[in-house]
Amino acid sequence: MSAAGRLADAVVPAWLFAPVTERDRERRRILALCLPFAALAAVAGVYPLAEVARISVSTATYESVGFTLSAYETLVTDPYYRGVAVNTLWFAAATTVTAVGLAVPIAHALEAYDLPGEDLLVTLVSFPISLPGIVAAFMVLVLVGNTGLLTSVVAAFSTAGPLDLAFGTTTSGLFLAYLYSMIPRATLILRGAYAEVDARPAEAAQSLGATPLQTFRYVTLPAIRPAITGALVLTFRTALAIFGTLLVIQSLVVWTLQISRELGPGYNLRVAGAMAVAYFAFAFAFTALALRYTDAEVGL
Amino acid sequence: MSADAPVERRVAPSRRFGRAAVVTVLAATVAFLILPVAYTFVGSFAARMTGVVPEGFVTLENWRVVLGLADTIGSQRSMGWTTLVALPGGLAVQVPAELAFSVALALGGVAINLVVGVPIAYAVARYDFRGKEWVDAFSVLPLVPGVVLGVAFLRAYPDLSATSFGLVVGYSLLKAPFMVMAVRSEFESMDLRRIEESARSLGASWPRTFLTVVVPQARSGILAGAVVCWTLAAAEFNFSYIVYAKGTQPLALFLQRHISNSAFPKAAAAVSLFFCIVVAVTVALQRLGNRGFDAIGGD
Repeated sequence: MSAAGRLADAVVPAWLFAPVTERDRERRRILALCLPFAALAAVAGVYPLAEVARISVSTATYESVGFTLSAYETLVTDPYYRGVAVNTLWFAAATTVTAVGLAVPIAHALEAYDLPGEDLLVTLVSFPISLPGIVAAFMVLVLVGNTGLLTSVVAAFSTAGPLDLAFGTTTSGLFLAYLYSMIPRATLILRGAYAEVDARPAEAAQSLGATPLQTFRYVTLPAIRPAITGALVLTFRTALAIFGTLLVIQSLVVWTLQISRELGPGYNLRVAGAMAVAYFAFAFAFTALALRYTDAEVGL
Repeated sequence: MSADAPVERRVAPSRRFGRAAVVTVLAATVAFLILPVAYTFVGSFAARMTGVVPEGFVTLENWRVVLGLADTIGSQRSMGWTTLVALPGGLAVQVPAELAFSVALALGGVAINLVVGVPIAYAVARYDFRGKEWVDAFSVLPLVPGVVLGVAFLRAYPDLSATSFGLVVGYSLLKAPFMVMAVRSEFESMDLRRIEESARSLGASWPRTFLTVVVPQARSGILAGAVVCWTLAAAEFNFSYIVYAKGTQPLALFLQRHISNSAFPKAAAAVSLFFCIVVAVTVALQRLGNRGFDAIGGD
């Protein structure tokens, strides 16, 4: 066979057009089934991201020419961007730990106890999953904003005015708004894990005299630990991606908000592109490493 | 417990308070999540909201403004109305522009999701092949957040990105994981090999088996995935915000404009309008036997 023939054979294997065995046909089917998704991912995901990566190392503002790492250099050396990165990471980490920490007892109550109106409770806890971040932020303002419900109630019983009590637009308010989006998601993941846990060992431990805390610590927790790690990974990713919330409560500049600001007055597409690439690389590496080197279970 | 050890008479604190504490966390969280929703909905029918109790009940003025039935100006400007169907004799079916626009955009996204999501879910559920875990992970994890994808679209498709087509394609990529998840779990609950082999042994070709036997049997999962994708796409904000340039606004941007600019009762009415959509979708999902949103990270 000629070199060209071998090359053609390697690029277009024979089984693609003239399948002989059932195994060949199956390979062709799998390829056909994956093709539409691959096409969408290439057109809407890979190509645009590649273009962004290209402009982020361009020497011109609006054209992809030459090669320079100056945009990345700005991100690394400029204390402002380092501050934004630090803000993003600590805030996402703090909200993730809090959200998952609350989701464990919530999932426990919903799955391990027989509570009255349990279906309704599940619906109510799941409801905010479908709300966008701007609405989550609005909900927090409704509670603790200047004319918020809790603000007004507390002000009615204290000497302080509502404006002294309101904290909707502070970093604490933003923290609550993050939790509003993240607790329902974390709960959903953990409930799935709880539903699969065998209840019998916990019952046996209880009947052997273990306290509820000991039962949870030594029997239930080991069973759901992979799901907790998985919930931490996914919730952290959610926290990094939050953006709409920050437009309503602008008390902290994080990575996503800064990307949108780069596109505002000045339109610094190169830095915005570099930030987008850095975000993508970080989120990808974080997920891959977390799934590879922890016992995280990301299945639903 | 051995006889010579002192018998512990004290009841362990976790036995006395454990359950109460756990239920309290649940109750407090439900209150935190739902109290503002209820207050917003009630407030949308009030004329003023300054104290604990909203005043000036019951008025539909806020809803009229939000739906574009009252005259409004400037940033308070609300939905315009567009003609959906012009009937003979000067009659026309009119719909709120933003609502109709978002409904259509999200439907477009769902259509693409069906075409790309159902086949790949079938491949992962039915076959074993090299690189299956990677295909699985890529199709289920939302890899690109809306803001990053928005920047990418601005750069790669500067002419297309602000158009409806750009929004539809972006939505379909962002929400595809939810379709794949819903359909895959439906496929996994079916005995695919048996179904496929019976149909094939009766003489159906493989494409025909897939399209006329397998897919119709998975319709409840496909429908549930479509409904979830539709809601998430209709509510998509981050990508829309970055990419949107001019013209009719998607629903989420309309919400943001009201939240940022309007007086509280009007913003409450706009948000309540969205709640109504979500509740309708949730009810529809529960009718389909789904327990809720199988969402793992929709932003």
